[in-house]
Amino acid sequence: MLRSRVIPCLLVHNKGLVKTVKFKAPKYVGDPINAVKIFNEKEVDELIVLDIDATINGVEPNYQMIEHLANESRMPLCYGGGVKTPEQAQKIIKLGVEKVALSSEAIYNPKLLIDIANIIGRQSVVVVLDIKKTLFGSYDIYSHNGKKKVKKNLFEFVAELETIGIGELVINSIDNDGVMKGYDLALIKKVREHVSVPLTVLGGAGSADDILNLIDEYKIIGASAGSLFVFKGVYKAVLINYLPEFALQKIRQISKT
Amino acid sequence: MIAIIDYGSGNIQAIKNIYKKLKIECKFVSEPEQLNDVDKIILPGVGAFDEAMTQLNESGLREILDLMVLEQKTPVLGVCVGMQIMAISSDEGKLDGLGWFDAQVKLFDENIINHKPKLPHMGWNEIQPKSEHSILTSIDFEKGYYFLHSYYFECHDEKDILATTHYGDIFHCAVNKGNIFGFQFHPEKSHSNGINLFKNFAEL
Amino acid sequence: MYNICTNCVMDTTDSKITFDDKGICDHCNTYFNDILPKWNPEGLDDKALYNLADKIKKDGQGKDFDCIMGMSGGIDSSYLLYLAVEKLGLRPLVFHVDAGWNSQEAVHNIERMVDGLGLDLYTEVINWEEMKDLQLSFFKSGVSHIDTPQDHSFFATMYKFSAKHGVKNILTGGNYSTECIRNPLEWMYFQSDSRQLMDIHSKFGTSPLNNYPVTNILWHKVYLPYIKGIKVIRPLDYMIYNKEDATKLLEEKFGYQRYPQKHFESRFTRFYEGYWLPEKFGFDTRKVQYSSLIVTGQMTRAEALEKLKSPAYDPDTIDEDFEYIANKLGISIDELRGYFNAPNKTYKDYKNQQSLYDFGAKVLRAIGLEKGGKR
Repeated sequence: MLRSRVIPCLLVHNKGLVKTVKFKAPKYVGDPINAVKIFNEKEVDELIVLDIDATINGVEPNYQMIEHLANESRMPLCYGGGVKTPEQAQKIIKLGVEKVALSSEAIYNPKLLIDIANIIGRQSVVVVLDIKKTLFGSYDIYSHNGKKKVKKNLFEFVAELETIGIGELVINSIDNDGVMKGYDLALIKKVREHVSVPLTVLGGAGSADDILNLIDEYKIIGASAGSLFVFKGVYKAVLINYLPEFALQKIRQISKT
Repeated sequence: MIAIIDYGSGNIQAIKNIYKKLKIECKFVSEPEQLNDVDKIILPGVGAFDEAMTQLNESGLREILDLMVLEQKTPVLGVCVGMQIMAISSDEGKLDGLGWFDAQVKLFDENIINHKPKLPHMGWNEIQPKSEHSILTSIDFEKGYYFLHSYYFECHDEKDILATTHYGDIFHCAVNKGNIFGFQFHPEKSHSNGINLFKNFAEL
Repeated sequence: MYNICTNCVMDTTDSKITFDDKGICDHCNTYFNDILPKWNPEGLDDKALYNLADKIKKDGQGKDFDCIMGMSGGIDSSYLLYLAVEKLGLRPLVFHVDAGWNSQEAVHNIERMVDGLGLDLYTEVINWEEMKDLQLSFFKSGVSHIDTPQDHSFFATMYKFSAKHGVKNILTGGNYSTECIRNPLEWMYFQSDSRQLMDIHSKFGTSPLNNYPVTNILWHKVYLPYIKGIKVIRPLDYMIYNKEDATKLLEEKFGYQRYPQKHFESRFTRFYEGYWLPEKFGFDTRKVQYSSLIVTGQMTRAEALEKLKSPAYDPDTIDEDFEYIANKLGISIDELRGYFNAPNKTYKDYKNQQSLYDFGAKVLRAIGLEKGGKR
């Protein structure tokens, strides 16, 4: 049976890996190539790498870094950060990357998604939406690393994305980012109700149980996490890790039901 | 020498990386002359059926591939859409496939898929071997492979089925007829199972 | 003229080696005459070890942890951790320095040990861009001790942490049992010599070292222990430590993954000791490691000679390793090859504090505080 995917998510800032909390205070976590190499050796399901500088700085994706990361990955790799044109997307795919993620460009220029899908295939187009809760309990989309509020309704927009046709939607909770106290389950539920595209959630996972509960509830969903797979213990010691064996077995069991 | 056909479709770099690590000689091939010293072929492919067939037809490699595969019996391994184009035709497109298998490519029936999302079939899924073959040596079937597709391959001849997978219903994820192999999943992105498959193919 | 010790496997690739009339080298003789009498592994009793543990517990009363333990994921530090917690009842904070080269086995082993013993982990991540620049400087300098950037950062970080948090006891897995014979000075020099490190960086580095932790010998060998009371303790010296037994125990109890050779926790060190040092300079650290095991009865000379017949690196993976190292350092394979083929230099070609180390060693030996040691 098809299993849910558990996906470490790495953020690249100034050529190094960082971890943020609520999108702030990036803490240096080490070298991206070594991290990807270790995740590869741990045989993780899939990997997302997001360059959080590229769009803000208006620069091209770092193709050399992407090439090195792809070289080390014997599992699907999704790259995001600074992608604005179909040519860039194609260049990235040709380096050995499976999926290309867009965020700001997808929000302000959704027609681009069609152009990119035409070149690299719809299955390889991923849209990442950074979400913050409002005072009244509803949700807003933000762009540019959580700095710019987007004047679009989240649920209308994801429906629009489904109509346009994308391969995967990643919902990233800014409020839960780095907090490690669980996913925003209410947000996930609402998004799931509104769209049928493959969904991956990010932001808040603090333990294997958070991931297992999510998968148990939704059966087929992408469970992504940053801090959980990069930190260990109360001192948040940097140590690359993945789900323990019992959790991986549980996911197989869930897939058989 | 293993040839990875570079006709504009598929993750050729990932396949090369694997053979590089295994220290098995391979090269990208985009011109017929480059096939002179080749004894095995890998045909990758992603995206849409018609697009892949068009690219292959325009690559100038169509004739020599038909010759090598159908007459000279050169072992060939098709990956994902590279496997799908080996069929007679696909529901996804209008063009004819290579016709190397008596098979049809069909869209998954969403009605029998009881969860969201329905399509594409994306993620790790187990495979069940239907026959024994050295190409499946040392494979962890329960761990399976990474799949990413919305259309599936349906063999008309049961003898061609090498392995199946369940998604909605059982479908043929691995096929084999003599020297021709097709795999719906992505061995180049499936860790040790993938590495072993490529290794086994090289050792045929 | 080539010559090899009749007792261990040290030979004239150590250019300063001398042999007595029985053909036994000065490393072995130093062990028999200087180290063994004072260390006396046969006569060890648990009491000294438990007394040590009591002192550590007392120093740490009321604090979250009573000592810190540098953990690389290697067998010595992992076994020590097990010992410290399960046999001695200590509460160590496990300290790991990530210099960007961790192997998957190392990370796995650290996780297993920390989880298996229910401990807290603290890591310090060295700024990779700076580490890369410093490592490249060492490659460009042509010296043999190019693993200094990693080693130096390990010590410096641990000492700084201890000084900052007032931790009096640093435990290390260093031990006489497997390290009584040390790497000759000309092979690895002193990794803590900050004058050498800074000089090499000033000559070949391309960007400043803002975050890289630097220590110096006076600070951590004199000031810290004698003024601040921060001591480095080697509990494994207080017991009969058999490496193979220790490895088996950790495998069974914690699911520890064995390494093919010492120091293989770091991908860089593996390349350095397995390939660069022996192939470029002719210095094979296995001779040092095996010799220590020979004199302590954990390996026979015949076994060692047999193992030394094959290269220190794995011929199947060396090309891949070479490429990985080059890629990670952001240089081409040709450039790395260029450094490999460049003339060999020594620590003497750059500024150093060797005279200070010599003086210090003399003092320590005179007052009986150091047995044997590097030469």
